[in-house]
Amino acid sequence: MALDTSKKGKSHPKVSQGLNTMDKIIMKYRRCDSPHIWWAVFGVVCLLAAATRFYNVGQPEHVVWDETHFGKFGSWYINRTFFFDVHPPLGKMLIGAFGYLTGYDGTFPFVKPGDSYEGVNYLGMRVCCTAMGACLVPFAFIIVWEMTFSLPAATLSSSLILFDVGLLTLTQYILLDPILLFFIMGSVVGIVKFHGQQKKPFGVSWWFWLCFTGFMLSGSVSTKFVGLFVVLYVGLHTIKNLWDLYGDLSNPLSYVAKHFLARALGLIVLPIVLYCVYFYIHLTVLCKSGNGDGFYSSAFQSQLEGNSLFNASMPLEVAYGAEVSLKNARTGGGYLHSHIHLYPEGAGARQQQITTYSHKDFNNKWLVKKWNEEPGDWEDDEPIELVKNGDLIRLEHVPTGRNLHSHREQAPVTKRHHQVTGYGENGIGDVNDVWRVEIVNGEEEEMAKAVVHKIRFVHYLVGCALMSHNKQLPKWGYEQMEVTCNPNVHDPNNLWNIEDNVFPKLPNSSFAIYAPHFIEKFLESHTVMFQGNSGLKPKEGEITSQPWQWPINFKGQHFSGGNPRIYLLGNPVVFWGNLLALVLYFSLYTWDSFQNKRGFYITPGVRARRDKTLEACGWLVMAWALHYLPFYAMGRILYFHHYFPALLFSSMLTGVIMDYLLESLPNMVPHYLSSSVYPWVTGLFYSILIYSFYLFAPLAYGMHNLDPSFENSTVHQIRWLDTWEF
Amino acid sequence: MDFCIKYCTVVILYIFPQGDGESAPDTPPPETAPDDDGGTPAVTTESETITKPSPTQKSSSRNKSKKIASAAAPPPLELSFNLDGMSVTLFILSFVTRIWKLETPRGIVFDELHYGKYAGLYMQNTFFFDSQPPLGKQLIALAAYLAGFDGAFKFDRIGTPYDPIVPVSAMRVVPAFFGSLLMPTVYNVLVELGLSHYAGALAAFLMIFDNALLAQSRFILMEGILMFFGIFGLLCILKFRRFYHQPYSIPWFTCLTVGAASLGACVCVRYFGIFTFLLGFGILARDFWMMVGDRLISERQLLGHFLTRAVIFITIPVSLYIGSFYLHLSLLYKAGPNDNIMTSAFQASLEGGLAAIVANQPVKVLHGSQITLRHTHGRTCWLHSHDTVYPVKYPDGRGSSHQQQVTCYSYKDVNNWWIVKKPEIEELVVTEPQEPIKNGDIIQIVHGLTSRALNSHDVAAAMSPHNQEVAAYIDYNVSMPAQSLWRVEILNGEVSDGYWHAVESQIRLIHLNSSQALKFSGPEDKKEREKDLLRSEMIPMERKNLTFWNKLFELQYKMLFNNQENVAGHMYASEPLDWLSLKRGVAYWISANSNAQVHFIGNIVTWLSGTLSLVVYASLFLVYLLRRQRACYDLPEDAWNKFCSIGEVLGIGYAVHYFPYFLVDRTLFLHHYMPAYIFKLCMLAAMIEHGHYLVCQYFKSPRVAKVYVGAVGVWMVAILYVFWFFAPVTYGATDLTADQVMKMAWRETWDLIIHKQ
Repeated sequence: MALDTSKKGKSHPKVSQGLNTMDKIIMKYRRCDSPHIWWAVFGVVCLLAAATRFYNVGQPEHVVWDETHFGKFGSWYINRTFFFDVHPPLGKMLIGAFGYLTGYDGTFPFVKPGDSYEGVNYLGMRVCCTAMGACLVPFAFIIVWEMTFSLPAATLSSSLILFDVGLLTLTQYILLDPILLFFIMGSVVGIVKFHGQQKKPFGVSWWFWLCFTGFMLSGSVSTKFVGLFVVLYVGLHTIKNLWDLYGDLSNPLSYVAKHFLARALGLIVLPIVLYCVYFYIHLTVLCKSGNGDGFYSSAFQSQLEGNSLFNASMPLEVAYGAEVSLKNARTGGGYLHSHIHLYPEGAGARQQQITTYSHKDFNNKWLVKKWNEEPGDWEDDEPIELVKNGDLIRLEHVPTGRNLHSHREQAPVTKRHHQVTGYGENGIGDVNDVWRVEIVNGEEEEMAKAVVHKIRFVHYLVGCALMSHNKQLPKWGYEQMEVTCNPNVHDPNNLWNIEDNVFPKLPNSSFAIYAPHFIEKFLESHTVMFQGNSGLKPKEGEITSQPWQWPINFKGQHFSGGNPRIYLLGNPVVFWGNLLALVLYFSLYTWDSFQNKRGFYITPGVRARRDKTLEACGWLVMAWALHYLPFYAMGRILYFHHYFPALLFSSMLTGVIMDYLLESLPNMVPHYLSSSVYPWVTGLFYSILIYSFYLFAPLAYGMHNLDPSFENSTVHQIRWLDTWEF
Repeated sequence: MDFCIKYCTVVILYIFPQGDGESAPDTPPPETAPDDDGGTPAVTTESETITKPSPTQKSSSRNKSKKIASAAAPPPLELSFNLDGMSVTLFILSFVTRIWKLETPRGIVFDELHYGKYAGLYMQNTFFFDSQPPLGKQLIALAAYLAGFDGAFKFDRIGTPYDPIVPVSAMRVVPAFFGSLLMPTVYNVLVELGLSHYAGALAAFLMIFDNALLAQSRFILMEGILMFFGIFGLLCILKFRRFYHQPYSIPWFTCLTVGAASLGACVCVRYFGIFTFLLGFGILARDFWMMVGDRLISERQLLGHFLTRAVIFITIPVSLYIGSFYLHLSLLYKAGPNDNIMTSAFQASLEGGLAAIVANQPVKVLHGSQITLRHTHGRTCWLHSHDTVYPVKYPDGRGSSHQQQVTCYSYKDVNNWWIVKKPEIEELVVTEPQEPIKNGDIIQIVHGLTSRALNSHDVAAAMSPHNQEVAAYIDYNVSMPAQSLWRVEILNGEVSDGYWHAVESQIRLIHLNSSQALKFSGPEDKKEREKDLLRSEMIPMERKNLTFWNKLFELQYKMLFNNQENVAGHMYASEPLDWLSLKRGVAYWISANSNAQVHFIGNIVTWLSGTLSLVVYASLFLVYLLRRQRACYDLPEDAWNKFCSIGEVLGIGYAVHYFPYFLVDRTLFLHHYMPAYIFKLCMLAAMIEHGHYLVCQYFKSPRVAKVYVGAVGVWMVAILYVFWFFAPVTYGATDLTADQVMKMAWRETWDLIIHKQ
C-alpha cells in the first residue's frame, strides 16, 4: 500500500547503517505473522479506496452517459411505472431503492446526458453506487489474501484496482456496473472464504459463506446477464472441490453426497429462488402502465393500471365497425402496423408497407368491416353485428384508409411467403383484401372475443395466413418487423389476438380473469428480454468497440462531453502491466510444467511457493478468460466497459505474479543487493502506480479548461495514443 | 491397402535389422520384398519408383503412395510391394459406387454452378473472385483441361443441361476419386488408433453406404477433396507416432512432411480446413509433450525435434498455400466480369481490364484534372454528391448545415466526378504550364456537375455526430464562410516522387481549418472527416505490373474482409442443431420433365446411430472417470488408454469440426456438417467395437458375443436397405412418380420436390 511504500522508500538510506526497525517492519509485513498488521494494512487500503472514490462524487452536476437510462429506470420504480429493459431488474431496483431512501422523489425526467440536475436530489443514488464500487478494493484484498495468504500480494492486487482510473470512473455514477462488479467480486469473495472453511464442514461459518456466495451469485445474475460468467466460475470451483472430496477414498459416498446436496442448495436453489423473488418484487412494484407495455402480451397488460385493458374499459366481443389493434400472439409479438411509406422497388409491388411494431401508436388502428359492405357510424341505430368464427372480413387501416391486402408476390425478406400490403383508397380495394377469421379451437359461429381468442386471418383467395416473426425489415422499413402471408397455415406465428377494441355501443367488460399468474409473467418477461437482447445488433456503419481493443486500452468511451469533461479510460500502466503479467504467468507456467516433466529438482521451499502461486493464478486466469473471451462470440453491440469484470481478475493476477517475482528477486541478484532489492523494487512499483494515477486522474474527476489552445496542458501530455479521443 | 511407410520400415527391419534406412549397407537387395499379407507380390506397371529408385523420390506422389508400397530402399535398385487387401477392396467398392452413372444427371447440380464456372474461367484465364482458396478448384480445372474443355459454357443456373462439350465425367471424377480414397484412409486411421481391422472396415462401410457422403463426392463439389486431405493428413500424423524411436529416418520425415502438406492442402481447399489442420497440429504437439517427459532424450535433442517439427509444419503448408495462389494469379491474367471488387491498380494489372478502358489518360493529377475518388478500404464506393441538401433538422433534433449532401456511392455515376483546383487559380481547366499536385499541396475539390466545392465545417455529421459533416458548399450568404481548403497527403509518396498519381497513389485529404481527414461512414450516407484512406481512381496509361506479392496481399485482404455472403435465408439452409437429427436435406437438382431428382440427405440409420454413439461415448467416459476417481478400474489400463485416445482424436475432432459453426454468422447447409460427420462415423465404429469388448468382458459367454455380432449384422443390413431405398434421389438417375417421392419423405421436414401436374 501507499503507506508501506513511503515507509520503505524512506527506510532505505538507513539500511546500510545496519538492521533497524524498518527492516523488521518490512519482514513483518512480508510474513504477516500477526493479525494487527493485517488489519492495519487492510484499514489503510479501505481508507484510500473510500477517499479516491468519494472525492468529487457529486461532480459533474449533470446527467452522465447512461445515467440517462438507469436514473430514469430508478425514477420509474419510485413512480411504479411499468417499463421494458433488456437487463434483469435487481440493479435498477437497487438504484430506485437508493433514490427512495435518500429522498429522491422520482420526478426528474433524465432526458439526455448533459441535462443539469439543478435542485434534484441525485447525490444519494450516486453515493450508494459509488459505495458499492468502493467495496471492490477490499474485496480484491480479501480474495487474494485467501488465495495466497500473502499480505504483499493482497496489497499489490488491491492497489492495482484502487489506482485504476477506469474503474474509478465507471463506479462513480448511477450505473449498473458498480452494482454488477460488486456482486461479481462478492461471489468470488464468498467462494474463496467458503473454501477456507473446509476444515470445519457444515459449521456455522461454512453455511454462512455458502449462502453468502449464493446470495451474491443471484445478485450478479439479476443485475446483468453477464453475471452468468461468474456463476460458471463458481461452478467450476465447486466441481473441482467436490471432485477432490469424491476422490478422497476415506470419505464415504454418503458424505460426498451430503456435500453435494449442501452446495446444490446454497449455490443453485438459493440463487434461483432469490432471482424469482427479485422478479416478483419487480412485477409487483411496477403496476402502472408505461411505455413498455407494447412488448408484452395483451393478457399481461390487462394488469397494468392505466392500460386500456385494465379494469373493464372496453368490450369483450368484436363488432363490425369497431376500431381494433391486432397483436401477434407469439411472445414478444408486435402490433399490426402500417404507415404511408411504400415498399421500395425490388421488394414486391410498390404498395403501402405493412409491418409489426412493438410500441403503441395510432398507426396500429384497424377498422373491422364486412367483406362486402361498409359499416355504419357509431351513432347510427343499426343493430350491432358481431364478428363470428369463419366470417369474411376486410381490415381498413384507419389513418390511411387502405385495406389489408395480399397477393402472389414474394415477401420482402422471407421470399417463400407472399407479400402483405396496404391497398385501395378510403377503404375501397379489391377481392384480394378479403380475409377469413379463424378462431383457434373455436366452435362454428362462435363470437370473436378481444384478448381471449387467438385468431388466424386466412387470405380468402390465396389461402395463406397473416404472419409475423422477429425478422426485421431493412432500413426502408424502419427496422420494424416483417409481416407476410404464410402458405403454411398452421405455423404458430400466424396467430393474432385483438387487443384494443373501441366500439362504444357495446358494454365494457373486465379482462381481469384472464390475467396471467406470476410464473407466466416471469417466463414472458424473459422471452421478451432475450429477444430485446438479440435485437441489440450494431446498426450498419455504426462504430462498435471490438474485444481485442479492450486489454490494450486502445480506445476509451466518452462519459460527459460538457464541462467538466469525463472520459472512461483505463490507467495504461495498470492495463499494460496486466498484459505483461499474463505473459509472465504463461511463461512461468510453461517453464514449471517443463521442469516437472523433465523431473528437475526444485527445493521444497520454492516448490511450495510456486505451487501456491500457480494455483491461485490458474483460477484467476480462468476467471479472466471466462469474463473476456465469450465477448468474441457475441453478436450484440459491445462497449469498452464490458471489459471491467475481466480487468478485476487480471489485476489480481498481476498482484500475485508481482509478489512471486518480488519474493524471488533476492535470490536472483548479487548477494550484496539481496537485502535491499525487495523494498526498492516495491517502492518503485508503487511510485509508478501512484504517479500514473495522479497523471490520469483528471480523466475521472473531470477535465476543465479544455480549449484546444492549451496544447501544453497536462491533458495533452497524457494523450499517449492517438486513439484516445479526449 | 495399408500405408506404405509402415511396410517400408517393416521391410527394412526385416532385411537389414541393423539399419535405419538411411545408412543401409550396400548389399544387393532381394528381388522382391516379403509380403506379409500373403498376396502375390504385385507387379505394377505404373510404378514410378522403378525409374526413380533413390530414397528421396519415394512416395513422390501422395496418392500413389497409398496404393503402392515402395520400399525406402538403399541405393541399388530395390523394390518392395505390399498390398493391403482390405484397403484396396474398400477403395474399389467405394469408387464403383461413386462412378456408377457418373454422367447422370447431365445438368448443373447445386454448387456445380460455381465450381464448374470457376473451372471454365480457369480455362479462359479470366479473373474471378471467390472467398475460398483455390486448390480444389484448380484440381477440377486440371481434370477439365486434360479432358479438353475450353470453358465455353455458361453456368447460369442450377438444372441447365450441359452441352456435349463439357467433360462432366472428367470433372466429377476428381471429387469421386478423392471421396473414394477417403474410405481406406479412414480405415487406416482407426487401425492406427489401436482399433481392430473390423472396426476400421465397419467405419469405411458406413461411409460408403451413406447417401450424403456419396452425393457429396459424386458432383463437382469441394467436400470430397477437403475431407480426403484432412483425414489423410491426420493419418500421417498418427503414423508418425510409430517412428518415435527412429527419429530423422526417412519414414519419419515422410510422415511429417506428407502430413503437413496434406493438412496444408486441406486449408488450401477451404478455409474451414484450418480446424483439421489445428487438430493435426494439436496431436503433434501433444505427442511432443509426451516426448518431453522422456528423460532419455537430452534437452538439446528436444530442441532439435521442436525446431524440425516447427519448420516443417510452417514452411510446407505456407509454401503450398502461396504456391496455389501463385498458380491462381498467374493463370488468371485476363479481366473478367467479377474483378470490380478489386482495387483499380489490381484491375489495371489484368489484360483487357481497366487499363484498356481508360487508356491514354495522364498519370499525374493536375490542376483542372477531372477525377473520381475511390474509397480504398471497406466497401467499394466513390466520393459522390448530388443536388439534394441535408435536412435542416435530423429526427433526433440535431441541426445540419443544410448544404448539399456528399456521400459515398457504390456505383459508377456521372455524379462521382470531381475537378481538382488549386485555390490560387480561377479557371477550372488544365492550365499551361501544367500544375501537378504534390504531397502537401493545398487544393480545392469541385463537384463536376453542380460546381460546388467540397467543404466542411463545425457541424455534426449525419450518422456519426462526433465527426464533422462534409458537404458541398452552397453560399446561402449567412455567416458560414466556405472552408473548402484541403491538404493532399500522399501515403505512398515514395513510388511517385511525391506527386499525386492516378490509380497508384493513396491519398488522404486533410481539412485545413480543423485538420481532420475525409472518412466514409454510414451505409449510403455522408462522408465524414477522420482518418482513412482514399485513392484516386482513373488514368492508368498501360497495363500495370503489380508484383505477385502485392496482388496476393490485396486478394487476401479482400477475401478475408469482403464478406459477400448472402445473408438472406436460403430455402434449404439449416441450423447446426438440425444437423444432429438430420432434420432436413438440400434439394440439389430436379429434372425439368420428370420427378427424377438429387436430394442431399444422409442415411438416417447411420446418422442417428452416429449421434447416439457420441452420447454413449460421453456418458461412458463420465462413468469410467467417476469410477476411476473412486479407484474402481473397470477397464484395464491399456483399454482405458485406448478409450481415451479415441476421444482425443475422434471426439475432439468432431467437436472442432462442429461447434465453430455455432459462431458462424452466415447461411449454413447440411453439407457443412460432412467433415464432422466423418468423425462421428468413426466414433460409431469405435463404440461398436467397445460394445463388443464390454460384452466379451462381462458376459464371458461366446453366445452373447455372437448375438451382439448378429445384432450388428442386422443393423448393417438395415443400413444397406435404407441406402438402397434412397439411392434413386442420391444418383438422380431414376424417374420417380409423385407417390414414390412422397414415400421417401420419411419426416415432415424433408422437403423433396414434386412437379405439380
